[in-house]
Amino acid sequence: MVRFKHRYLLCELVSDDPRCRLSLDDRVLSSLVRDTIARVHGTFGAAACSIGFAVRYLNAYTGIVLLRCRKEFCQLVWSALPFITCLENKGHRYPCFFNTLHVGGTIRTCQKFLIQYNRRQLLILLQNCTDEGEREAIQKSVTRSCLLEEEEESGEEAAEAME
Amino acid sequence: MPAPAATYERVVYKNPSEYHYMKVCLEFQDCGVGLNAAQFKQLLISAVKDLFGEVDAALPLDILTYEEKTLSAILRICSSGLVKLWSSLTLLGSYKGKKCAFRVMQVSPFLLALSGNSRELVLD
Repeated sequence: MVRFKHRYLLCELVSDDPRCRLSLDDRVLSSLVRDTIARVHGTFGAAACSIGFAVRYLNAYTGIVLLRCRKEFCQLVWSALPFITCLENKGHRYPCFFNTLHVGGTIRTCQKFLIQYNRRQLLILLQNCTDEGEREAIQKSVTRSCLLEEEEESGEEAAEAME
Repeated sequence: MPAPAATYERVVYKNPSEYHYMKVCLEFQDCGVGLNAAQFKQLLISAVKDLFGEVDAALPLDILTYEEKTLSAILRICSSGLVKLWSSLTLLGSYKGKKCAFRVMQVSPFLLALSGNSRELVLD
């Protein structure tokens, strides 16, 4: 059918400086990505990518960003992301880089991927953490997420059984 | 016993040449502007960089011959970059504030074809 197809790029902002993630703002990020595309792909790239471009989700604590772009120009946007080297905010420059985790056609698939990714990250954090208080907190979140996972699966099975 | 399936390989060359060659000429609105070969190449690369960015400005572009008097040159570009180069030459408007335009006289995937141009043929 006739509709505009989009691609959703799930990226993670990785930086040494902890203040870098907190100073993330969707307007700052949007202008940063657009400027980088203009530098890397020229006026043609800037015009092509900015039609359907939007920052759909932004989490300042974990640094997860969800970008939307048109399907035809997804490659242009994706290839420009490694050229982002620093984030400028109020005169402070923080070196950072974008790690693309997942490319999906809908927000729902990206959300499913993000839930699984966060579960895995919790387990990795549990292995690496040193403080006892942190360890308990992470163990609680891990058990809570496992319970939620079982609920989801049983909910899906119940829905299939009803059909 | 069934006979084994016959295997064959078919190789199709759609465009046997990896490079395309363009004969271009630079025209200025007012005369008296000269460029040497390095400045000419700088102009070409900046034209591509304006329109298509740094990634495509790094395409392997070569100037095979250049004549300073007539400001004409023969360029070689890989085939995937031909459309980008041609469109950025079309949209180039000025050099150092002076109005100019590129005239593309001949384009061919084979260099030999640029040696003779039937448009410039003089019939007695």
